[in-house]
Amino acid sequence: MNKNKEKLLNSRYRAEKRFQFYGKSAIFLALLFLTIFIFKIFSTGYTAFQKTWLIVPVTFDAETMYLDENPSKEDLEDADYFDLALQTMFNLDKSASEKQQNDLKRMVSYFFEREIKRELLNDPSLIGKTKDVYLTASDDLDQVFKGNYPRDLPEDQRRVTDYQLKIFDQLVEQGRVESKFNLSFFTYPDSREAELAGIASSFMGSIFSILVCLVIAFPVAVLAAIYLEEFAPKNRLTDFIEVNINNLAAVPSIVFGLLGLGILLAVFQLPRSTPLVGGITLSLMTLPTIIIACRASLKAVPPSIREAALAMGASKMQTTMHHTVPLSMPGTLSGTIIGLAQALGETAPLILIGMVAFVNTIPGSPLDPAASLPVQIYIWAESAERGFVEKVSACIMVLLGFLIIMNLFAQIIRHKFEKKWS
Amino acid sequence: MIKINSKNVDVFYGKKQALFNINLDIEENQVTALIGPSGCGKSTFLRCLNRMNDVIDICRVKGQIIINDFDINDKSCDVVRLREKIGMVFQKPNPFPKTIYENISYGPTIHGMAQSKNEMDEIVENSLKKAALWEEVKDRLHEPGTGLSGGQQQRLCIARAISVKPEVILMDEPCSALDPIATAQIEELIDELKKDHTIIIVTHSMAQAARVSQNTGFFHLGELIEHGSTDKIFKNPENKRTQDYITGRFG
Repeated sequence: MNKNKEKLLNSRYRAEKRFQFYGKSAIFLALLFLTIFIFKIFSTGYTAFQKTWLIVPVTFDAETMYLDENPSKEDLEDADYFDLALQTMFNLDKSASEKQQNDLKRMVSYFFEREIKRELLNDPSLIGKTKDVYLTASDDLDQVFKGNYPRDLPEDQRRVTDYQLKIFDQLVEQGRVESKFNLSFFTYPDSREAELAGIASSFMGSIFSILVCLVIAFPVAVLAAIYLEEFAPKNRLTDFIEVNINNLAAVPSIVFGLLGLGILLAVFQLPRSTPLVGGITLSLMTLPTIIIACRASLKAVPPSIREAALAMGASKMQTTMHHTVPLSMPGTLSGTIIGLAQALGETAPLILIGMVAFVNTIPGSPLDPAASLPVQIYIWAESAERGFVEKVSACIMVLLGFLIIMNLFAQIIRHKFEKKWS
Repeated sequence: MIKINSKNVDVFYGKKQALFNINLDIEENQVTALIGPSGCGKSTFLRCLNRMNDVIDICRVKGQIIINDFDINDKSCDVVRLREKIGMVFQKPNPFPKTIYENISYGPTIHGMAQSKNEMDEIVENSLKKAALWEEVKDRLHEPGTGLSGGQQQRLCIARAISVKPEVILMDEPCSALDPIATAQIEELIDELKKDHTIIIVTHSMAQAARVSQNTGFFHLGELIEHGSTDKIFKNPENKRTQDYITGRFG
């Protein structure tokens, strides 16, 4: 009898130890995956925050720019810099053949003309003088310089020619190649050229979409939740509504995208590819999430608080607005942030409503065409150029950073509220 | 003088009847204790008096409860006005998660009882003094009410209830979550409050009923078995069941 009891006790202890071990392994596994994921993204992506520049001497020859003597500001603005820019590149190797000259031209981005122009507009006194100008290197040379491009591939499988490599190595030797922080990644819109592509258009698109989503979803969801939880009679109809809200939360996001396409674009004729339509579509998706979170936190407010207010002679409305809703706000807000974070990472519905279009301007309002960060990741991940590989990871980092900041913000708000109540 | 007069009160939770034909008169400016075993309906009856049973969807109340010549179960009765006149203190202290000051000022604010900040300060001070809490909290009026001890919280709730100068105060086992010292303080307070208010207290403790009340009603299985002066109920009950309960034979 006693022996049996001891056996039972031991097996209970063992069961607990086993359970703890399972729990620890689960946490370890999760952390391991997370570490691998983050390491992979950072190791691929961190180079995107650096950009390679070629420092090339430019002789601002008035004749090559077809300028008269003493040109005015407008003349400089209208001048033709293309020949000057070409000449600058050809000067790197004066004995280059025609084909090699073409290679020389391709060592820099097609912005080189503009970069030279900007230099002169900043300082018009440069005419007739020679100055070293920073030109954006082509994405292939950028990758070569960062060591992401295997140089030992046979030439016909490389996008960089042996001749370009030779000239590039000379420049490196002369200290005319420099790597600097890639500001244009944040300030430029998307581009077909990896060295010029930035996230400004998709970042702004995401911000506008989220704002539209918040402005629509939050008030609607909170009002619906308060009414359902505090005022509506509990009957079959409200049960039915509750079931359907839960169903709505489980609907795949692409279905909402189809809804946006079929209703917002086809019936209401709202402008295609815009954060307005994206935001409305996302708000449909976020709505049930916020309603559920808000109702749960309203439910969590102890009934004794409601009774206390009612017994003081507060009306139902006063009880709700003065006590229940403020107490439920931290939960509601964190639910909202979670819903918005989901919306921020959503790709499929945005693709359907056309936010996948190639947008090379920065949107200034929710009515301008735009992409969004996750769609940008999708667009770049599809591109063949090596330059986009690091950009995909960098964009993921920005998206994750964005999410972390949002969550932090939610935590701070929550903390502040909770402090007030306890 | 009779303050509250209830006639033929029946209460149903769905199909289940919880109170059967209750006829009970409550004397003005006295303490009436409602006693009885758990589930006997004494709290349900108490909650009829300020229509708190309205909150429960499935609860129906029948019969008349007349306060100041007015039937509170009548359709024309405004519950907001009613609850301004009939305050309530609950079993578990339930201060609002706000400051001590805001806890007291809430009622006067929603009922528009103070015209100025000074007036409000006065109401808060008087209510806290009446609830014998002023000395303990006067230096921390703007700290959260939830930070007080259990007994202090309950006195805060009493102060909150009397802030709107109710005619009647309902107390639903106000000491069941408190230690003996805090209980003694509350009982003393009840004795003080009966000068200005009519008090009805539900209690599990017969000793407490004997100590604080002038009248007692004994409930059992949803019926009012016996009521009368506390002296008579405890010393010389008419009904066998009352006697058994009071002497501790069941309950």
